[in-house]
Amino acid sequence: MAASPMVNPGDQPVWVNTDNCKACDICVSVCPSGVLGMRYESTSTLGAMISIDHPEACIGCNECELSCPDFAIFVADRKELKAAGLSFAKLTDDAKERQAAVIANNYMSLSEQGAK
Amino acid sequence: MAFNYDKYLRLEKMPTLWCWGCGDGVILKAFVRAIEKMDIAQDDICVVSGIGCSGRFSSYVDFNTVHTTHGRTVAYATGIKLARPDKLVVCVAGDGDALAIGGNHTIHGCRRNIDLTMIIINNFIYGLTNSQTSPTTPKGMWTVSQKAGNIDPTFDTCDLAIAAGASFVARETMLEPKKLEKVLIKAMKHKGFSMMEVLSNCHINLGRKNKMVSAMENLEWIDSITVSKKKYDTMSEEEQLNLLPTGVLKEDTDADEYCDMYAEIQKVHQGQRAKITQADFAKKI
Repeated sequence: MAASPMVNPGDQPVWVNTDNCKACDICVSVCPSGVLGMRYESTSTLGAMISIDHPEACIGCNECELSCPDFAIFVADRKELKAAGLSFAKLTDDAKERQAAVIANNYMSLSEQGAK
Repeated sequence: MAFNYDKYLRLEKMPTLWCWGCGDGVILKAFVRAIEKMDIAQDDICVVSGIGCSGRFSSYVDFNTVHTTHGRTVAYATGIKLARPDKLVVCVAGDGDALAIGGNHTIHGCRRNIDLTMIIINNFIYGLTNSQTSPTTPKGMWTVSQKAGNIDPTFDTCDLAIAAGASFVARETMLEPKKLEKVLIKAMKHKGFSMMEVLSNCHINLGRKNKMVSAMENLEWIDSITVSKKKYDTMSEEEQLNLLPTGVLKEDTDADEYCDMYAEIQKVHQGQRAKITQADFAKKI
């Protein structure tokens, strides 16, 4: 049996199970820190797929995981991350600006141009 | 390792059949997390669901589950609860399921104050059958059955449940999953009929002709029509118009619970006590 998608694939603060993601944009909209964005993906029904652009900015608020309807995105356990010698970032003004830019870009990653 | 959802889900049914961005998935997740926090064995829970998108709810959770006929969740659940009063029985129904086809069952479940938790997922439309007017569809919205605009007045689910006698009534939205989880735990721990209305989105069938084509637009609309009960109480009647209060709206722990009353009837038949008379009740009518 394959490893459970809920197991951290290697000291990540946030990770996704792309088999379950339906590209609804909700996680991107609730992130306060501009960690997430959508990228073009021709094989997906909606033509997009979730992408984690700035994992280093994740503050571990868990909003994306709780708001995901499809069990597709997971946030690391704070204690587990600490045991691995890592920690969540603090919310910065840069991160807030990036989040506003992602929302203005129709929830697409800043490296992706054009409307979905 | 993140939170382990695998334990509570039927993984062979995943991914869910719900549309992208559907609030039902968020509510399912909050429910699973609430069960984990309450620390109840999976065999001690029964989830009963009816027909509609919300009816899929019972297929995805790995508890005792019953997928029942349209609107009859409370009828089935009442039977289950009376047979096994020690188990936690949760009904999941949509707005059309619980308030239109099963409206009668819902209000009589409230009246009996039987120890069930009823989660009504209100997306303001019949979503599964493609946009017919439901009892909660706002006036003036386009639906397939009222293409010139809906003229039907709406039900306020929570007011209905309070008037019918439910002892715990709360309203939450899928926009605040953390709060939803907390109130769900309260509702399930409450002894008596707990009515939990959860406002959800249907951007596919409500939104497509009502200028809310994406999940986010529909969620913004839900955000704009809800306000916390604390704030709602301070508002004037004019400001309260077109707003729905969220939070716990009623909590009555003193009301007689139906399973307890039924146990007395059993005692009568076993010859352990005299027949029940009017003198047994403080509130008779």
